[in-house]
Amino acid sequence: MKVDVEGTLKRIESYKGVIGTIVVNAEGIPIRSTLDNSTTVQYAGLLRHLAAMARSSVRDIDPQNDLTVLRIHSKKYEIMVAPENNYLLIVIQNPCE
Amino acid sequence: RSCQTDALHSDDAGVQTRFSASIFTQTEPQEQTTDLLRQHDPAEPDPPGLLDFLRRTEDLIIRELVKNTRSHAFDGFQADWADRSQRVSCLHRLQHPSAQEKDLHVSSVSWSCTGSVIVCAYGDGDWTNEKSCVCLWNLDRQNLNPKQADLVLEVPTAVTSVCCHPNQPALIAGLYNGEVLVWDTSRTQDPVLVQTGMPAEGHREPVYQRKAEFGVLSSSSGGRVLLWTVDLDRTRLVLDSGYAFIRQQVPHSGRTSMKLQVRGSSTVGVTAVALSPWDPDTFLVGSEGGLLLRCSFSSRTPAAVPAEDRGVVLRAPAVFSFRPSSGPVHSIHCSPFHNLFASAGTDGLVHIHSLLQADPVLSVRVSDSYLFQAQWSPSRPLVFAAATGHPVQFFDLACRALRPAATIEDGAADRAATCLAFNHQNRRLVAVGKSDGSVGVWQLSSDLVDPGPTETAQLEQIANQVSD
Repeated sequence: MKVDVEGTLKRIESYKGVIGTIVVNAEGIPIRSTLDNSTTVQYAGLLRHLAAMARSSVRDIDPQNDLTVLRIHSKKYEIMVAPENNYLLIVIQNPCE
Repeated sequence: RSCQTDALHSDDAGVQTRFSASIFTQTEPQEQTTDLLRQHDPAEPDPPGLLDFLRRTEDLIIRELVKNTRSHAFDGFQADWADRSQRVSCLHRLQHPSAQEKDLHVSSVSWSCTGSVIVCAYGDGDWTNEKSCVCLWNLDRQNLNPKQADLVLEVPTAVTSVCCHPNQPALIAGLYNGEVLVWDTSRTQDPVLVQTGMPAEGHREPVYQRKAEFGVLSSSSGGRVLLWTVDLDRTRLVLDSGYAFIRQQVPHSGRTSMKLQVRGSSTVGVTAVALSPWDPDTFLVGSEGGLLLRCSFSSRTPAAVPAEDRGVVLRAPAVFSFRPSSGPVHSIHCSPFHNLFASAGTDGLVHIHSLLQADPVLSVRVSDSYLFQAQWSPSRPLVFAAATGHPVQFFDLACRALRPAATIEDGAADRAATCLAFNHQNRRLVAVGKSDGSVGVWQLSSDLVDPGPTETAQLEQIANQVSD
């Protein structure tokens, strides 16, 4: 089992219903993506701020707590954001497929 | 009690500009998107920490993905962001008095690409030489007068069909008495932009048409389908290619129960044409005799007709034949969500065919009499509407019972609905033209418009059924 960046991303992509994965660096620039350019940039820009707000909301309520995953369930698909200090992983999945 | 404001201090001073400077600014188109996404260069080393980050989050994300596929948490829950209305209501009833005086019925309606203008064509079932017109109403105008059209385009005879350009809101193509005409409504003087005139290249028989991305497709009961394009100086419609249908060149669908007898002339009168949104080379044709054919624009087979002086060699485009229906086919429409199409004719049934097999996937009994038009909904993959002799009926393929999900009944029973058009911009609206010369603009209820989460999958399931 290849433990490298491409292998990990491929494994995630192979799960049922996954439409795309995006990795965003600390400056908000997408560095890996399986979607087209304009969609990737949109997702990266919009979700960075949302994830930061979600994290600060969780920590404001309980400083000992922290955000692990932000899930946005929409009519057409589900967006999962795993934030960290340095990077952001965004996965879009259509669970009904 | 009394009060008093403080004394107001005021002063005068003079100001004068000594020198001035001017500067211009302009925004540049955003080039940032390509710069922003650093292209992944396989030779470039991964940024530090990326692998560790992915290792840490991989398990977490995978757990969430798996949970998602098994979760039933939000099944059936639909957030109500917009006001949902349960009713189908009539917003406007548009009439053109002079058309009604002449007893013309509405032969065709079309929405502009912006969704705000409805174009109505008046025609006469008997092909008499009554002067007719095409009327436009802009429904977004505040002072909309339903009894008076915003623009009336005069036409010497009855119009059989109109169609708005898919991109340019001002262009409308219309057909009457063998001529194809394109109007440009942005020109105030003479809106007629180009026309074919009546030379040998024109049609003599009544024609029906469709606007393709690049030209106007017209068809006739003489068995011809012609593709016209506007020439470069925008003064004439030029015949780009022509197709002719001859019975002997139509592929057989392989069923021996067809009663295809060559009676009299061997031409196949074309009564309905549809373009496929999935394959720009395919178009579908329905005939007076009930034939349903899949055709190709790029066919090279020459048609077995006597050479006509049209300047273009006529070709035989029919590639595949679907199971014929028992009467003339009045309407074909391709689904925007799947490679299915619906056909409607005089047998009272709407047949839903897959482009890949000859037999229909599903046949829905709509009424006992003629069906004039069948159209798929632009927003819900499983819904289609059929214009019948009296009410317009909406069918939802998600319901097992296959009874109409909604009907639009309007007025007395003798006013047949002859044509209908969904508005692609404002998906709640549908226009229905009737035989008494009036056009109703209806607003549909939310359940006919808002798609559910699994509709495309359900449509796919229906399409994959093998018909028995």
